[in-house]
Amino acid sequence: MDGVHDMGGMHGFGAVVEPGSEVPYHERWEPRIFAIQMLVGLEGLGAGPGGRPTREEMDPVQYLAASYYERWLYSAEQRLLRKGTIAPGDVEAMMARLEAGATPPQHRDPGMAERMRAGLASEYPMDPPPPDAHFGPGDRVRVKRMRPAGHTRCPRYVRGVAGVVERVQGADRLPDRAVYGEEPPAEPVYSVAFRSEDLLGPSEEPGWTVLLDLWDSYLEPA
Amino acid sequence: MSDAHEHHHDGHHHPRPASEVELRARALEALLAERGLVSTDAIDAVVELYEHDVGPQNGAQVVAGAWVDDAYRERLLSRPNEAIAELGFGGAEGDNMVVVANTADVHNVIVCTLCSCYPWPVLGLPPSWYKSSPYRARVVAEPRAVLREFGLELRDDVEIRVWDSSGEVRYLVLPMRPAGTDGYGEDELAAIVTRNSMIGTAVPVAGEAAVA
Repeated sequence: MDGVHDMGGMHGFGAVVEPGSEVPYHERWEPRIFAIQMLVGLEGLGAGPGGRPTREEMDPVQYLAASYYERWLYSAEQRLLRKGTIAPGDVEAMMARLEAGATPPQHRDPGMAERMRAGLASEYPMDPPPPDAHFGPGDRVRVKRMRPAGHTRCPRYVRGVAGVVERVQGADRLPDRAVYGEEPPAEPVYSVAFRSEDLLGPSEEPGWTVLLDLWDSYLEPA
Repeated sequence: MSDAHEHHHDGHHHPRPASEVELRARALEALLAERGLVSTDAIDAVVELYEHDVGPQNGAQVVAGAWVDDAYRERLLSRPNEAIAELGFGGAEGDNMVVVANTADVHNVIVCTLCSCYPWPVLGLPPSWYKSSPYRARVVAEPRAVLREFGLELRDDVEIRVWDSSGEVRYLVLPMRPAGTDGYGEDELAAIVTRNSMIGTAVPVAGEAAVA
């Protein structure tokens, strides 16, 4: 979806390097919410599209105002609500209990910790590049113009722009459909190189190259 | 409430009132723990994993290995997942690794403009700036201005290649071995490989130890 998460090329956000920006997080709850969001997925506690497409559905004002792990908190909660694992009001009720001084309940389950470690150690590689891929290294391709309402991995700033395929990375289901539970066939995914002039026009900086991994469905011959 | 993490929650290390979002986060954990749906020790295990075992020290070993051993470098560039696994690293967000090598004429930088995708098994969890709106917005559109903020100036004729991790591939930059490191052993080399040099916003410098 063409939301505020699709930030490539936007103006107005200011400096990258700020005091404190070198650390992954500042508060203890942040890595714990990271872990909870991972557990929601691995333990099957949530429903609907995964954490990432759910975060993209955040209200844009809320998305921009939220810290990174605040967005993860949002997606964990939404996924739990969708499955009915928690009900509306449950989190607020617990917030009130904690504010009133209740001791936070704990739960011990070494088996879950073990499953979590195993889950985080697992890898799910793409399928190998198919022999009949539409495009090969050196082919010129153009990114289709589109305005997908749902999750996509085709950022706005490359749409309509021509680039050159550098290699076929593998084959994978189109995320635009797969994140919603569909099972489309795997299609080639290409590493496509774009010249900065083609993406953005003239720049004060000497030209550079931007490379993206793009699914076959996003591309047409150029 | 003898658990160390609860001390954190109690504000032992943060003597200030809990923010709304912190309270909400604590409440979600408490709610799921009370119902036996997530375990406190599983959460602890993940936090400890990424605070102690999985971080840029892993990537630094990979880079140092490639610097001292041409055959390993070749394997790392041609079959990255296998080469990284040789050192015992792998897992979530490292499913499809690609290693991009800097040369005298090419400098690589990684980003994820749509999200904040990052190669966890070799670099750990990303720094705040990597996830920030300005980095995601600007590094594809004005890379030299962004690198300058990090104190990195590149010659005008160096090609900058910005890798936007839009798909399932996760990238690791293989920086050039700096001059003045001829006598260094592999561990000494790993010690100068900074996280930012493996993202591409810095280059390693002899004698400048990577900050943990």
